[in-house]
Amino acid sequence: MSAFLPMLLVAIVLAPLTAAIIVGCGMRFIPRRAAHVLTILAVALSTALSAWVLWQMVFAGMGSYDINLYDWGSIGNIQFNIGFMIDRLSVLMMTVVSFVSLMVHIYTIGYMAEDPGYKRFFSYISLFTFSMLILVMANNFLLLFIGWELVGLVSYLLIGFWYTRPTAIRAGLKAFIVNRVGDFGFILGIALVLAYSGSLDYSQVFAHASALAGQHLELFSGLVWSVPTVICILLFVGAVGKSAQVPLHVWLPDSMEGPTPISALIHAATMVTAGIFMVARLSPLFELSDTALSMVMIVGAITALFLGLVGIVQNDIKRVIAYSTISQLGYMATALGASAYAAGIFHLMTHAFFKALLFLGSGSVIMAMHHDQDMRNMGGLRKYMPITYFTFLAGSLALIAFPGFAGFFSKDTIIDAVHDSQRTGAVFAYWCVLLGTFVTGLYTFRCVFMTFHGKERFVVEHDAGHDGRKELAPGHLPHAPRESPWVVTVPLILLGIASVVIGWLTIQPLLYGDFFGTSIYVAPGHHVMQKLAEEFHGAGAMMVASVTTPTLWLALAGLGVAWFFYVFKPAWPAVLARWFRPLYLLLLHKFYFDEAYALFVEAGSRALGRMLWIGGDGAVIDGVLVDGSARAVGWFSRILRRGQTGYLYHYAFVMIIGLCVLLGWLLLR
Amino acid sequence: MIQQIVFIVLAALTVGSALGVITARHTVHAALFLVMTFVASAGLWLLLHAEFLALVLVLVYVGAVMVLFLFIVMMLDTDSQSLRQGLVRYAPLGVVVALIVFAEIGYVVYNRELGVSFGTPLPQAAGFSNTRALGETIYTVYAFPFEIAAVVLLVGIVAAIMLTLRRRPGVRHQNISKQVRVSAKRGRLRIVNMPSEPRPPEKNP
Amino acid sequence: MITLFDFLALSGALFAIGLAGVFLNRKNVILLLMCVELLLLAANFNFIAFARFLNDISGQVFVFFILTVAAAEASIGLAIVVVLFRNRSSINVDDIDSLKH
Repeated sequence: MSAFLPMLLVAIVLAPLTAAIIVGCGMRFIPRRAAHVLTILAVALSTALSAWVLWQMVFAGMGSYDINLYDWGSIGNIQFNIGFMIDRLSVLMMTVVSFVSLMVHIYTIGYMAEDPGYKRFFSYISLFTFSMLILVMANNFLLLFIGWELVGLVSYLLIGFWYTRPTAIRAGLKAFIVNRVGDFGFILGIALVLAYSGSLDYSQVFAHASALAGQHLELFSGLVWSVPTVICILLFVGAVGKSAQVPLHVWLPDSMEGPTPISALIHAATMVTAGIFMVARLSPLFELSDTALSMVMIVGAITALFLGLVGIVQNDIKRVIAYSTISQLGYMATALGASAYAAGIFHLMTHAFFKALLFLGSGSVIMAMHHDQDMRNMGGLRKYMPITYFTFLAGSLALIAFPGFAGFFSKDTIIDAVHDSQRTGAVFAYWCVLLGTFVTGLYTFRCVFMTFHGKERFVVEHDAGHDGRKELAPGHLPHAPRESPWVVTVPLILLGIASVVIGWLTIQPLLYGDFFGTSIYVAPGHHVMQKLAEEFHGAGAMMVASVTTPTLWLALAGLGVAWFFYVFKPAWPAVLARWFRPLYLLLLHKFYFDEAYALFVEAGSRALGRMLWIGGDGAVIDGVLVDGSARAVGWFSRILRRGQTGYLYHYAFVMIIGLCVLLGWLLLR
Repeated sequence: MIQQIVFIVLAALTVGSALGVITARHTVHAALFLVMTFVASAGLWLLLHAEFLALVLVLVYVGAVMVLFLFIVMMLDTDSQSLRQGLVRYAPLGVVVALIVFAEIGYVVYNRELGVSFGTPLPQAAGFSNTRALGETIYTVYAFPFEIAAVVLLVGIVAAIMLTLRRRPGVRHQNISKQVRVSAKRGRLRIVNMPSEPRPPEKNP
Repeated sequence: MITLFDFLALSGALFAIGLAGVFLNRKNVILLLMCVELLLLAANFNFIAFARFLNDISGQVFVFFILTVAAAEASIGLAIVVVLFRNRSSINVDDIDSLKH
């Protein structure tokens, strides 16, 4: 068993990589069919093996496993290893990642069927699966960082997948650059960990974590901070970038320029949760600093409420879901900040299922609408695509935390945990996440109603469909919307089932059954989850009790308001927008984050760049170093050229005199 | 005593003829002075018991190399007057440099004593053959450098031939191998099969 | 008694004369080659004198090699002179300044 396990872990990681390399390098030679068969088989293998390891851990009593597979290098006493740490936290993530990835692979067959970049796409998503598995399974900070950067790279490649669209290229660059800001903090944090604990291995860092607690460091003269606080805040900056928290969230809505399967896989279910996973994985460090945890909680709470508000005014179906993703990531961060790591990871898992479902469902709608994403051109799609409608509805109910659905269990737990938390800022965070439920209900069902209910706002032009070449105006379709093929609906149904039952089935063991064991560390005095455990009497009782909590009623109120404005009185939202024009504009412009960045950061860096270009590059490097050295050589050689008469005997004379001088110098020395 | 007289005479002859080489008005004279220098040197080498090398010097240098020099000098129609123009321009510099080098060598030789002690040379045993000793050393210890020296000479021959070989266009000469290889069937003789035609009947005017 | 130093002084004188010859006859390539022969002869003198006074035959072996190389050098040098004369109709070193360009 123990001899067999390392090979098995390597197989989990390398199967998608191998498929990605074969498909990516052999893009010209292999048929389309081979591209998807190969990658799907590889990811299915990873899924099956991950599920088997999960099974072994949960039911067969397998312990956690930390192994160094390969010595990459060493500097002095610092070892750089490639190694895996398999415990219940990572194996849960592995299973979720590979399962969602498998669903997306299958779905892609249908969604990308007519795309010329079909094989490239499969190569990329397999590469992504590999990268994410590396990130999750790493047993040291270095490998974590490698995985972290790899998923960032693949995300960039996939946002800019349709590289002929200027908007896609800009969105890809934006995601990459914004993530650089976060990664800068992240790598500084890793460097500090290395500097203060002398190792990059999780096990050794965690073992010496208590030694860090008492240490202080002087950032600037006179400003003394405790070391764990600085480390954790820097690491969290990385998470802010990757998990799209305020203020580095601006890249995620733009990343919807990528193909929809990617939005489901990378920008909803897996990659963006890497920050959440990282904080949970490093809980022994974060538990040392109340300040850092407070910051995590407040940032998360702000993200959860305010970015949700932005979702209310968006008209692009994918952007609405993107803002809801940001908001839900905020919920997860809030849970982490309240030391309810298990709740955060639980929400991560349920969210992965229902958000992947929502994205794939919206992709199905977009296919039916001939790649038009504007909800103002939809409506009444319920009767055309029933499977998509019902699965989308299930995902939406899970998202607004309707009792019984997956999101309910995780989100209610988070809200209760924040309520019970004694940490600074917990009250503010509580009100944010509470009001967030209303907002969630509002924007989610606004989207559902605008898309599937009400009047049909698209026009079917039957005559245009015959030649199929005519460019159609937005909202004009060549034929009536149709339900998507089975490769699209099967993943929808599977994810729909998961979205309904996963919370019910797993809340008991995952949150209150000590599932995570030692893989998550909560300091004494931070045990909000213990308090909740005392009040917990089973999933059914929790649903019954929810009738008396404000969260359910706030969510239902959001649903009702959405129904009122978008089904009952569809003309009213425009009137309201006119009345509250400043507020509407504020939300429409996403709190002017992009504009502010353009004004300050972009203009500043452009000015800096211009200064370096003209002053540094132009004057110093080109003028002095390049041209200057050439001029110096030219000047020097003009003088030397006088000596070059070309007469043989002059050279002989120089040789003889040189010999004479050398001999003299040797003698007189 | 006799040896010393011989040494002094030969040394004076060597230095004198060497000076003659560099001051002679005509290149032929310079070459002849150089022959004299070599011959005198060969005599001095005999004093040093280097009999084989002394003979080689006379045979190879005087007999071959210097004759080559003379051939070249006489073959090329050189105007020695123009070559001697401006002779004095660098003469002071040359004399000064020569004196400095000579002084330096002398300083090394007499003042430093080269850092090694020299006894008087051992008298050689009766029946000692310089040629035999040299041959034993060359063909055993220095066999490999000897082969390289042979290659150097070969390269010298090839290079000299290649440099001076001149192909003149339009010169007719026999190519014997081509003549031998000639065959009647290939290219020389072509047998054409002609159908025999009846003679047209003559017309009578 | 003839000492080693007498021979060394003689070879030093030959060497100095060779050097002076390079300066004096700088225009005539053939004379330059002859001066080089003088320099080599001076070196040979040293080898033979040391071989005699150190009782080591290796010095003579080196003279043997030097003679070989000098012969090769003379033949190639003269061949170059011939080619030079054929191309330029002159062996005046003043005419050969193509290294300048």
